Amino acid sequence: MNRRLLFLIFNITQKTKAIDIQQYIELIFSNYTARIVMLGTAILGAICGMLGSFAVLRKQSLLGDAISHAALPGIAIAFLITGVKDSNLFLLGALVSGLIGTFWIRSITKKTHLKSDTALGLTLSLFFGFGMLLLTFIQKQPNASQAGLDTYLFGQAATLLAKDVWLIAIVAGIALLILLVFWKEFKILLFDEEYTKTLGFNTRFIDILITTFIVITIVLGLQTVGVILMSAMLLAPAAAARQWTNSLENMIILAAIFGAFSGVFGTGISTVIGNLSTGPVIVLVAAGIVLLSFIFSPKRGLLFREIRFRKNRNNIKMQKTLAFMYDIAKTHENISHPHAIKILNGFQGFSKRSLQKLVDLNYVQINGQQWSMTKEGYTTASNLYNQQVDNLHE
Amino acid sequence: MNSAQITIQIIVTLVAIACAIPGTFLVLRRMSLISDAISHSILLGIVIGFFIVEDTSSPFLIFLAALAGIVTVILVEYIQKTGLVKEDTAIGLVFPALFSIGVILISLNANDVHLDIDSVMVGDLSLAPFDLLLINCQEGVTDSCINLGPKAIWVIGIILLVTLILLFAFFKELKVSTFDAGLAATLGFSPIIMHYGLMTVSSVTIVGAFDAVGPILVVALMIAPAATAYLFTKDLKKMLLLSCFFGVFASIAGFWLAHVLDASISGSMTTVLAILFLLVYEPIITSILVSIATGIGVIFYQYYERLAANNLEFDRLLIGDKIRTVLSEFVLADYIYVCFIAVFLTVTLIYLLPKRGLIYGYYKVRQQKTEIMLLVFLLHIRNHNEESERHVKHLNEHINWQQLRSQSIVALAKKNNMITITDQIISLTEKGASFTEKAIDYIITNKDTEIEEMKDDFFLFRG
Repeated sequence: MNRRLLFLIFNITQKTKAIDIQQYIELIFSNYTARIVMLGTAILGAICGMLGSFAVLRKQSLLGDAISHAALPGIAIAFLITGVKDSNLFLLGALVSGLIGTFWIRSITKKTHLKSDTALGLTLSLFFGFGMLLLTFIQKQPNASQAGLDTYLFGQAATLLAKDVWLIAIVAGIALLILLVFWKEFKILLFDEEYTKTLGFNTRFIDILITTFIVITIVLGLQTVGVILMSAMLLAPAAAARQWTNSLENMIILAAIFGAFSGVFGTGISTVIGNLSTGPVIVLVAAGIVLLSFIFSPKRGLLFREIRFRKNRNNIKMQKTLAFMYDIAKTHENISHPHAIKILNGFQGFSKRSLQKLVDLNYVQINGQQWSMTKEGYTTASNLYNQQVDNLHE
Repeated sequence: MNSAQITIQIIVTLVAIACAIPGTFLVLRRMSLISDAISHSILLGIVIGFFIVEDTSSPFLIFLAALAGIVTVILVEYIQKTGLVKEDTAIGLVFPALFSIGVILISLNANDVHLDIDSVMVGDLSLAPFDLLLINCQEGVTDSCINLGPKAIWVIGIILLVTLILLFAFFKELKVSTFDAGLAATLGFSPIIMHYGLMTVSSVTIVGAFDAVGPILVVALMIAPAATAYLFTKDLKKMLLLSCFFGVFASIAGFWLAHVLDASISGSMTTVLAILFLLVYEPIITSILVSIATGIGVIFYQYYERLAANNLEFDRLLIGDKIRTVLSEFVLADYIYVCFIAVFLTVTLIYLLPKRGLIYGYYKVRQQKTEIMLLVFLLHIRNHNEESERHVKHLNEHINWQQLRSQSIVALAKKNNMITITDQIISLTEKGASFTEKAIDYIITNKDTEIEEMKDDFFLFRG
């Protein structure tokens, strides 16, 4: 191991130790800036989770990535035209160019044989490249020093001001209101677009409405987590929430909670450790939640799936033994005629455990080295492959 | 042209070709966004490599970066295979997470790390010619090194060479596994090996091109030429050649655009790529816009030069004011001149470009709509013998058409001698009856070819 690497690990552990819960809470309540930033990231996380659920379910997960990149030329043009650094103006520019990007993606997939991934990649890279061209052009201007557009690449949550948080909160409020008003339209569009059309809803309008709100959210998030990480902010809470529930209502609520939690927790960690950019920490917290959900969710999670899988396999082994016993037993007039355990071989799924289970279920009786079938076991076994037995052990 | 300019152009040409080849296959396999994911997550590989060897120019760094790219692909595939989320969500989850870890590792050791995220994320070509590959150096002795030329040429040249060798060696395997993975598997070529081979090549190419043009513009160089070529042709070999051509054209043109504008080379390369794509995708509108922009640009440049030479204060103005000052110098003749250039270029470009795009598409859709409505109308008349159903006024309420539209359809049918109208009652002519008969046949058998012949038979829209 290298000296530098060891030093690095040492560094991280030492800094982690510094997180003391008491100190942490104290910091939040005493520090005005930290409080503002935390509130901002929490609301942003919640609204991202809420609208991200729609993006994930509509298979538009990477729309966030494409739009956040597509916003760059808008910001640059807003600066070029006005020559002042005003975050509201930047947001407007970003919004316009983000919407143009969305429109572009949609019309490319609709009108050509290029697939959506190519359309997304094209929008992402071409808009961003054009934005880079404008940025380097701006840097040559005499007033370039006040540009500071780099923050939009990586985001700086620490620069969030009270008025930014207000803006985020207002947009979140409007989004929530729209969501409640158009709830059934959104829901039906999500699951069956053709049916929605036949019912006479204006699918185009609903579609544009929801996409516009997703774009607005992405643009708002740019300042906090930056271009590259915005897509994860949109996706991760929704992907995690999806694992826990099959109902849209619950999924959206859960995603909002996960998003807010990762915002608060991520900001907290980066404030306490210091010298850490907030965006990546928030994204890592959200990724952690996704990982936990993937493993531990009771219905879809990997852990419980594996457990179910093993249980089923044991069950099948036991059924195999039972079927083998049945084949032997039916050759005798008395079905409970005892046989030696030895004749059950391993290939028929026989093991001590499966035999014990059969005894527990009262299908088989054991007498010394001999086994005999019970009446109940015989009927179950004869119906084993007729699907009359729903589930053997339940 | 000095030698540095030539070197840069050689580098961008090599990068463009090296990116276009795997890019074509990525676009065809619907995996374009994997390139985006790889280009971001290699940051983690670079950071870890830097901590181990403490040298930004070590080949070990390139190796680790490529490894990080492959790890991304494997992770995405693993998550996708669990079935918990869709593929695009898996991509969107993996690369930001890896990227975040990279950024955090950098910022945790910001004090003693000379690795700047900005410099990693935004490539810079202008210094590439001066980063020379020197071998056989002896310490303390000046001029003992053997100069092998710019390092970037070597790196990207080797990558391109390997890519080309692999392409020629495995062309048919790649082709089969791209278009029909099942067939490839039954023929005995493992699609999985092809897949990971392609991923490895893409990953290494992205890492190699990364230095020169930065991560996001690598994605542009991979996807945009291939997508543009895909709109032109459906032949794989032609597509490969065309995408290489577009890539190279955009790189060279982008280099000179950057030279004129004094802006970033990679940014202007992407801009040229965007214009190229738009020209193919939306020829009419784009060619008008490009022509007008060129026209204004030419005149703008002349005034700009004059102002910059005569007026010292002009330099210090903001860009918005500059534009306003220059535009105020325009006279009427200039605008006429701009229009002239624009019209000329528009006509040339439209003539050069294939018959696709918004206006043509709109026209085609309208024509098809009319055809279908005519058919519906004729079928309706054929199915009803009673006079009340065949009354002209009745159509509006029965088939739910607006007044104007039904009038135009009736007029069209009449013009084609398919119906006759006596006392406001419509009846089919012999020609109309046989046309409808054939149309029903077409609808039942549903063969595309018949309808085209049918249209020719009856001179629809023609007489």
